[in-house]
Amino acid sequence: MSANWESGVAEVAGALLTVQDLSVGFLTEQGLVRAVEGVSFDLEPGQTLGVVGESGSGKSVTAKALMNLLPSYAQVGGTVSFDGRDVFAMAASREKHFWGVEMTMVFQDPMTSLNPVKKIGEQIAESLRVHLGRSRRDALVEAGDLLEQVGIPEPGKRLSQYPHELSGGLRQRVVIAMALACGPRLLIADEPTTALDVTVQKHILDLLDYLRRTRNMAMILITHDLGVVKGRADEVMVMYAGHTMEEAPTTTLFDEMRHPYTEALLETIPRIDTPSHTRLVPIPGRPPEVIEVLDGCPFAPRCRYSIARCLTDRPGLTSHGAGHLCACHAPVGTPSGTEARAANESAGTTAAGLDMEQFTRHVPVADLGQLGAEG
Amino acid sequence: MAGSGTAHLRGHDDIVLRVENLVMEFPVGRHQVVHAVSDVSFDIRRGETLGIVGESGCGKSTTARAIVQLPPPTSGRVVLDPGTDQEAELTALEGEDLRQVRPRLQMIFQDPISSLNPRRQVRDVVGEGLHIWSEGLDDEQIRARVDEVLEAVGIDPTVAANRRPHEFSGGQCQRISIARAVVLEPEILICDEPVSALDVSVQAQILNLLEEMKHRYGLTLVFIGHDLSVVRNISDRVIVMYLGKVCEVGGADALYSAPAHPYTRVLLASAPEPASTVDESEAAIGDEIPSPMDPPSGCRFRTRCPRADDRCATEEPVLKALDDDHFVACHYPSVAGTSGA
Amino acid sequence: MPADTSEHTDGEKLPEVVAGPDADRAAPRRLGITFWVAIGWVALVTGAAIAAPLLPIADPDEIGIGPRASGPNWDQWFGTDTVGRDMFSRTIWGARVSLMVGFFSIVAGFLVGGMMGVVSGYRRGWTDLVLGFVTYIMLSFPTLVLFLLVILLFGQGLWTVTAALSIVVIPSVSRLARAITIAFAEREFVAAARLLGATNRRVMVREILPNVLIPMSALLLLGLGLTIVAEGGLAFLGLSVADGFSWGKMIQLGAGLRTLQTAPWVAFFPIGAMFLTVLSLNLAGDQLRQYFDVRELGIGGR
Repeated sequence: MSANWESGVAEVAGALLTVQDLSVGFLTEQGLVRAVEGVSFDLEPGQTLGVVGESGSGKSVTAKALMNLLPSYAQVGGTVSFDGRDVFAMAASREKHFWGVEMTMVFQDPMTSLNPVKKIGEQIAESLRVHLGRSRRDALVEAGDLLEQVGIPEPGKRLSQYPHELSGGLRQRVVIAMALACGPRLLIADEPTTALDVTVQKHILDLLDYLRRTRNMAMILITHDLGVVKGRADEVMVMYAGHTMEEAPTTTLFDEMRHPYTEALLETIPRIDTPSHTRLVPIPGRPPEVIEVLDGCPFAPRCRYSIARCLTDRPGLTSHGAGHLCACHAPVGTPSGTEARAANESAGTTAAGLDMEQFTRHVPVADLGQLGAEG
Repeated sequence: MAGSGTAHLRGHDDIVLRVENLVMEFPVGRHQVVHAVSDVSFDIRRGETLGIVGESGCGKSTTARAIVQLPPPTSGRVVLDPGTDQEAELTALEGEDLRQVRPRLQMIFQDPISSLNPRRQVRDVVGEGLHIWSEGLDDEQIRARVDEVLEAVGIDPTVAANRRPHEFSGGQCQRISIARAVVLEPEILICDEPVSALDVSVQAQILNLLEEMKHRYGLTLVFIGHDLSVVRNISDRVIVMYLGKVCEVGGADALYSAPAHPYTRVLLASAPEPASTVDESEAAIGDEIPSPMDPPSGCRFRTRCPRADDRCATEEPVLKALDDDHFVACHYPSVAGTSGA
Repeated sequence: MPADTSEHTDGEKLPEVVAGPDADRAAPRRLGITFWVAIGWVALVTGAAIAAPLLPIADPDEIGIGPRASGPNWDQWFGTDTVGRDMFSRTIWGARVSLMVGFFSIVAGFLVGGMMGVVSGYRRGWTDLVLGFVTYIMLSFPTLVLFLLVILLFGQGLWTVTAALSIVVIPSVSRLARAITIAFAEREFVAAARLLGATNRRVMVREILPNVLIPMSALLLLGLGLTIVAEGGLAFLGLSVADGFSWGKMIQLGAGLRTLQTAPWVAFFPIGAMFLTVLSLNLAGDQLRQYFDVRELGIGGR
């Protein structure tokens, strides 16, 4: 599914979206800030790609680059082709009927996507009228259909309501309806459920899945929560500090992850079945600010596996099996990785000066009974 | 108004906080009232971590604010150290009397940046409590205390003390907030969604830090959250709330491994990685939460509950013991081994 | 609601943008050259005004120091007015009254108005209602009538005029301070301070006031420009300080039709001085406001 990195093939036959070496930089008074670097992936029709990352990972900036939503002082490099068409060329020629039609996006906060002083019906109809040339009446009828498809009860009534009259979950459904209005082939969902309650979250994610299947729509699901992509994405791309750290089919990523960051993330998140007071394995430090410029691997300062090389050479993506790419000098589960970690543990510190003892620290006496439960 | 009952309150052995029949109502517009918290009771043992979990609108944050009297609840009692000679009924205190008791309960909040005064230096922020109550402490001593606490939370005082909050990350700001809260060595620390706004890779640091602080300063924690996994991990005992009511109370592991209330089961089934003790299909309920201004009669969950019947509409369920420390307010709770009425 | 956005998606902070979406560059956030040039002028004028008695300039009241109504020349740089007084010296001396009245009235207005606003906004309830009512009365009272009344009752001394002008400033400042206070009073750090056991007074002074004063201080410069112009207008109408003259008074003296035709510099120099000073204050004040605004935003927020 992924591009064959080594041979540098520009496009895979059949892929709907091919992103090659995408980079986004912002020109600020401190110089060029690289928000995204060297990101490549492709997506086939009807597939879901999960993009996982924290703040500064570049996941949202990537999405905005695809959607042509970046400010003009952003410098974008690389190529993106959608169904054989060059997306950046379309951006340059101010193509009007691509974004919102073939490729659409749903954001985290529905209130920022909805105009508070316009009725919901009008807002959905707008897309249909501008892009598909529908008449106002036809557009409103279709809008009602769309509301029904996204599971909103009493769709007819909702058409003449205002956004503030709806709950958060319903608003998000409206936003999804707006995104689907013109029958896109690709939907990008940027943290679509982060601001919602867990019960609503499940419904919205299920809805997106259902819509994807019935419309054979491809989807990019962006989130900070690995749990969200576990059952719902075909492939997962883990990003950190603007770079791709690992990319693999979902089950492979969870069962055989190679990147220390992926491993650390999976170990640090408490699971619902984990007993109370299980000590969580922390990831020391914090994600780098967008402004910081780094030599070597951006995760090295926080990584249990880091060796001297990690501080100076930024690792490129290497293949670890079918469709499994990882950017690391000492990947998890490989001889070099296992060796690096063992060496760090016995030395008590890593090449980056990270104190290894904090991972196996002295547990308070009261919790000694729980030791056996530590994962 | 009938409440969920008090069957789950424990005797006088070392209870550090007791909340009885807490009600919080806010007038909205001319005739309407938001029933944010409707007759909630619970108690906390010294050294325990009580987790309160629920979705938005359930009243968990309002409960936290009501405990610290900011603002005071509409009715109900909140008693600190009941049955001891340190006993203080917070709801009966006002003005200066209330102020005197304040150092015994502290709180940390969800938004780490908003929790700190952007115009003050970290040293002043953390030392504020000591300055207010500084009988007998001179500046040097206060400074030493502040440095000690900053180090305890993982912030280097030599680097950070003279800086302002905007120079720190969210996780660091949260550490500073924790330092500010524990410098007075309170009895109770209430944590209102303290990790919800933090990056995933930083959450574990703060959760571990809270555990450390708890042991180091002998704190009793109240942890409010919406993430079920996080709440289970940090809590000894968990309360599940819905629309201002308590649905279920119990030891963390007991509650998660044998959830009895249908709502608890829905929550556990809706998590991105659902709990193994429930079936994913149990998440299938309606989306629409009733308005807190006009909550359903009887059991407030009945409009979305798969087991609801007429009895649920007329008779509000009261908390009943299922087990040693497991109580549920439901007419048709799941008993261990089954998954439905 | 779960998950505040401060570190998740919003953590994908694009570098702080002050310019709009079509900018070529994310605009820098600092005080530029405009600010420093403007402040420089204000400092120059203020310095000259303060040092006036010590400067080697002519006596501003001495009649006949030069030929009447003669234009700028090497002896009198700004020329002379209709009775032969040195215009250069008068312009500097006139600055003293203009700046003093302007400065003290705006500062008093900010202090009193600021306090009223903070107390109003923090305490709400009856305090807010009463102070609000007082503010409305002050806002509605016609300014000129107020001045006439004051002069009638208390004369035209320097401090009387300053006090009267500050009354005009107070209500607007109070409303602004109140609005900022209300916004900050809801922030968690205020709740935290109360939880620590701070008295209301301590909370207002230590937590709220610094957050109100600092953004408002940027407005101080803009306000100073307004009060200088206001005093000028009052002086023009003869309602300002009787003993001494300000730029406004000088303009009035030079604004006779014949004087304007034959010796326009008599009005021109005070007009120019006032114009440049107020312009500088506006430019500097605006830059300062922007600088503080952006800093506020830079504090981890959107």
